Amino acid sequence: MRGLKGKNVLVTGGGSGIGQATAARFLGEGAAVCVLDRSAEARQRVTEELPGLAGVIDADVSKLEQVHAAFNEAIERMGSVDVLINNAGISIRHNFLDITPEEWDQVMGVNLKGIFLVAQTAARHMMERGSGVILNTASTGGSVGYPHYADYNASKGGVIALTQSMALELAPTIRVAGISPGYVLTPMQRAEYSDAMLDAVNRKIPLGRHAKPEEIAGLFAFLASEDAAFTTGHIYVVDGAETTGGFCSQWSHE
Amino acid sequence: MKLADKVALITGGNSGIGSATAALLAKEGAAVVLTGRNTERGEQVAQSINNDGGQAMFIQSDVRVAEECRAAVEETLDRFGRIDLLFNNAGVLHPRTVPECTEEEWDETIDSSLKGAFLMSKYALPSMIERGSGSIIHTSSGWGILGGGRAAAYCAAKGALIIMAKAMAIDHGPHGIRVNCVCPGDVQTPMMPDEAAKRGVSWEEYLAGASERPLGRVGTADEIANAVLFLASDDSSFVTGESLVVDGGGIAG
Repeated sequence: MRGLKGKNVLVTGGGSGIGQATAARFLGEGAAVCVLDRSAEARQRVTEELPGLAGVIDADVSKLEQVHAAFNEAIERMGSVDVLINNAGISIRHNFLDITPEEWDQVMGVNLKGIFLVAQTAARHMMERGSGVILNTASTGGSVGYPHYADYNASKGGVIALTQSMALELAPTIRVAGISPGYVLTPMQRAEYSDAMLDAVNRKIPLGRHAKPEEIAGLFAFLASEDAAFTTGHIYVVDGAETTGGFCSQWSHE
Repeated sequence: MKLADKVALITGGNSGIGSATAALLAKEGAAVVLTGRNTERGEQVAQSINNDGGQAMFIQSDVRVAEECRAAVEETLDRFGRIDLLFNNAGVLHPRTVPECTEEEWDETIDSSLKGAFLMSKYALPSMIERGSGSIIHTSSGWGILGGGRAAAYCAAKGALIIMAKAMAIDHGPHGIRVNCVCPGDVQTPMMPDEAAKRGVSWEEYLAGASERPLGRVGTADEIANAVLFLASDDSSFVTGESLVVDGGGIAG
């Protein structure tokens, strides 16, 4: 991709799954990459699996002081942040009637407030530098309903609206876009879903399978690159056509 | 080279987004067949690509005519054996409200943009289905998602392409074929000054209007071509049924 070599990239939630695959993709493009993750296990593993990383930083994105400290460390290590992959997120599978206020706050804290805190911190830096790209991980769940994930989906709907409003205010200096993945076969997904559950999901997807994390990374790489210089303020869905129909179309491609 | 050994068929390839895309895909290794109504311009575009070391040919074809679509697809398959990418880019814009729009202008708009995409896809899909792979891209518009003033037929056609892409994605996902739209905003192509003139606006006024949008400018045909390249390449292997908006933030608010 044009324009990624030599760029400085920060990936939150970069210790696993989509974040890790995206960090790996940017390393492959010749960028310097720091990842942020609050899981010690993830940080240890990604340090071993991606030895080229400029930094593996411990931070909980829902806590302002930790965000500021982590961002400062990334700047020290790389000199600047040109591209933010604002990807850290959590999900809890529970019925709407069972969601506790604490769980709600936890999911919103990471998925919506965390996206806001990191984005604002990065945007202030990028405005001073005169350029930057912020890419927020949303989800198909931010646009269509799924049972058992009402709080997660609400947070992702918020990310979508936040992305569009940020884009308007930060243009033309900073480009802002969102990516809405559908089902991705990350280690976390493999752990949460049995084979039978994975098959049931795959039957609802016209491409017949989950995404590989690298496929999500490919969209991040395009949107961060010079090839996407005229894109801002939009959300890009990568879901194998899963949400192009709905319940009403699911019989037609069995 | 992202498209080595691939074959791309591009309608409306004579100028603007079509010719910029043809040139880019050829640089990335694809053999490119471009179609259009104007033979002189089309041959020039193909020649220019060949002179630059690429591989391109022009077929004169009106996408509104089923037999001409069928013939263009057949000639492409005869010559190159396959179609990996179909870029349904042909389209026209008549700036008219519904009462202003003549029936001929309506038909030309719907037939060139929407029916043409249907016809070309209809003839190209069987070979893609047989090979178990392919990528189809329709040129829609930001005005296929939100409304535009004095462009009712255009908006209707561009909106229809988006939902048609979704329906096609559902049908052909199981065949290994991806179908998407690219939705440009205002892009500097010959069609734009032409449209400005038809609206009674000077090109300078038109550009001044664009400066109020988030990125403060119109786009270039190359910027749209880059998005088409992404949708044609393996980097978008899980993107289907989607509309890739490339509009400088024009529809963000």
